[in-house]
Amino acid sequence: MKKGKTLGPKVGFLFALPAAIYMLIFVGYPMIQNFILSFKNVDVYSFADASKQAFVGFENYKELFSGGEAILTTAIKNTLIFTVASIFFQFFIGFGLALLFSKKFKGSSFFRGVTMISWLLPVTVAGLLFKFMFASKGGIINQLFMSLHLINAPLEWLLDPKLAMIAIVVANIWIGIPFNMMLLITGLTTIPEEIYESSRLDGANKFQTLFQITIPMIKPAIMSVLTLGFVYTFKVFDLVWVMTKGGPVNATELVSTYAYKLSFDQFQFSKGAAAANILFLILFVVGIFYIKLINDEDEVM
Amino acid sequence: MRKKVVSAMLCMAMAATMLAGCGGNAGTASAGTDSSKKTAGGKEEVVIWDYFETDAQKNMMQDIIDGFNESQEEYEASHVYVPFADYEKQLTLGMASGELPDLVILDGCSMASFIQMDLFGDVSDADIKWDEYLEGPMESTMADGKHYGIPFATNCTALFYNKDIFDAAGMEYPNENTTWEDFHEMAKALTKDGVVGFGNAATGTDEGTFQCLQWLYTAGGDYQNVKGGTDAYNLMQEMVADGSWSKDCVNWTQSDVNNNFVAGNLAMQQNGPWQIPGIEKDAPDLNYGVTVLPKKDADSDQATSILGGENMGAVKQDDMGGATAFMEYYDKTEVMVDAMKQYGSFPPKTEAAQDSYWTDDPIQKEFITQLQTSIPRGPSASWPEYSDALQTGFQEVMTSAKTPEKAAEDTQAAVDKVKASEK
Repeated sequence: MKKGKTLGPKVGFLFALPAAIYMLIFVGYPMIQNFILSFKNVDVYSFADASKQAFVGFENYKELFSGGEAILTTAIKNTLIFTVASIFFQFFIGFGLALLFSKKFKGSSFFRGVTMISWLLPVTVAGLLFKFMFASKGGIINQLFMSLHLINAPLEWLLDPKLAMIAIVVANIWIGIPFNMMLLITGLTTIPEEIYESSRLDGANKFQTLFQITIPMIKPAIMSVLTLGFVYTFKVFDLVWVMTKGGPVNATELVSTYAYKLSFDQFQFSKGAAAANILFLILFVVGIFYIKLINDEDEVM
Repeated sequence: MRKKVVSAMLCMAMAATMLAGCGGNAGTASAGTDSSKKTAGGKEEVVIWDYFETDAQKNMMQDIIDGFNESQEEYEASHVYVPFADYEKQLTLGMASGELPDLVILDGCSMASFIQMDLFGDVSDADIKWDEYLEGPMESTMADGKHYGIPFATNCTALFYNKDIFDAAGMEYPNENTTWEDFHEMAKALTKDGVVGFGNAATGTDEGTFQCLQWLYTAGGDYQNVKGGTDAYNLMQEMVADGSWSKDCVNWTQSDVNNNFVAGNLAMQQNGPWQIPGIEKDAPDLNYGVTVLPKKDADSDQATSILGGENMGAVKQDDMGGATAFMEYYDKTEVMVDAMKQYGSFPPKTEAAQDSYWTDDPIQKEFITQLQTSIPRGPSASWPEYSDALQTGFQEVMTSAKTPEKAAEDTQAAVDKVKASEK
């Protein structure tokens, strides 16, 4: 920080320039275009003829939210359920594994590596695997439950509205655990061993160590995991597209899959853009919250 | 320092994926609007997109292309496979970026949308025998009286029945005189011992609409007049409720239905001729027959079926010579007939379909009969929205979520809304 002050703000801007240009071209431009598109009436009839394209204000947004059974409202609700349920389990399982693998034992680094496989696997592949596993006929999950006598008849996992949501959440939890685990392990390694030693000398038990030392010390890491997790879960598309395509009858429709369907199934490009912008707005708020959080911490440090 | 290394690596990874992305695009980029592209031999390139997956379909495509390339000196055709699930997205993106082929083979019911979006160019002047084509498939390639391509393959669904199950019950096979009432009684009588009388594909996509819509038409309605076909809703709900029409249908695709028919779980199924090669291969001993779909009552005409199949559309560009030449080649009856024998569909020409290969076959000829009362979906540029509204209605009826009257009312309202948005 000291160096920056001596060089003056101009040089600072110079350093930021390449990133700014990159952001403007590859992030700013498409985003602005998308905003403009969402205020127009571009659909299958006006796509080719620019003279028919007109600005319609918030008409697309209004239509998306109109009616008691608006699909977008359902999609936002589904996305929230999907996100919260995924993060809840991802975080706790990830945290447990992080605590386990931060201990040095034989093979700990090997198993830590193996856990990463679900994160390294392309999401579409993972989606396909889960689709097969949740298949109502011949799926391994039904077979397992049947042989354990938990169920009498095969469950139609991806066909029943409630079960389909559970299935995609389970798949997403499996994919997200390593991400949570790795970020938390990195956080754990920053805690100096001396602190644990002194707490032990003070007679702290395991629980006290966990809640008084470990968790407060890695609070920044926990906050990052939760906010980043929220962002990347909220915009999940490929997994759900592969497993259910938002079905049955919109039971697993997320904002992302709905925006895709509007644009590429029904050719309602402006409405699709509007739905994508709703998704963006929600994440934008989360993003601001995250940046503010990081800045506050910087000030503390 | 460590942070910097990580961020540098991230940047590189990002750059690499971007390059890979561009590279991928460049690889699939085809002649597109740049009509000056020449092959090594100095011939002009004609690139065709298709979504054909099976070996039989790929061989068919390659045979047509080889035949075309040998038939003349000016053009050299080749084809690019684009997965069906991504097909329409790729076409839409292609229109935005200009990276398009010369010819597109696509699902007949989505052609109207793409004509509206200005993907295809007018080929009315091409040397093609327009009046030989079946009216329904031909309509789906046209807009405002202009031709934007030709039908490539055509088919429809009909009624398959398992002869062994009928024989065991001592019942007569369904035939062209079977009415809905007869059909319902047959299905009910055959529903026992793990066998369900009838099943079709009623999944929540256009695949479901493709099979369910014919019931609405046969009842006297059409895709814009749902209320006129409320009897179809009545029949569906009654049959599903008494178990003679499988409830699982709401999640079945056409292959699911066929698998259940082949496995002996269904006494009758609604399906198309493209299932026949698979049945012959996997279940050569299956003793089955095919007839036209049941008609409404004794006085009504043969039941309506919905046309399926592909169209070939010529992408709009300055020089459409290559695309036109290829369509003119495919327009030859013998080329079309050879291709369709491999494909398991029917040639979209009235005369070509009269080939003895089809008319002498007891099963195939039933499809030819059914084709005569088959109509296309739409055509409407808003077909995807219509399809969505209609299929929701069928699903609500089959799952008894709504009474037939209520479902008809709501679906009519949804369809009217789409109609109002049409321009």
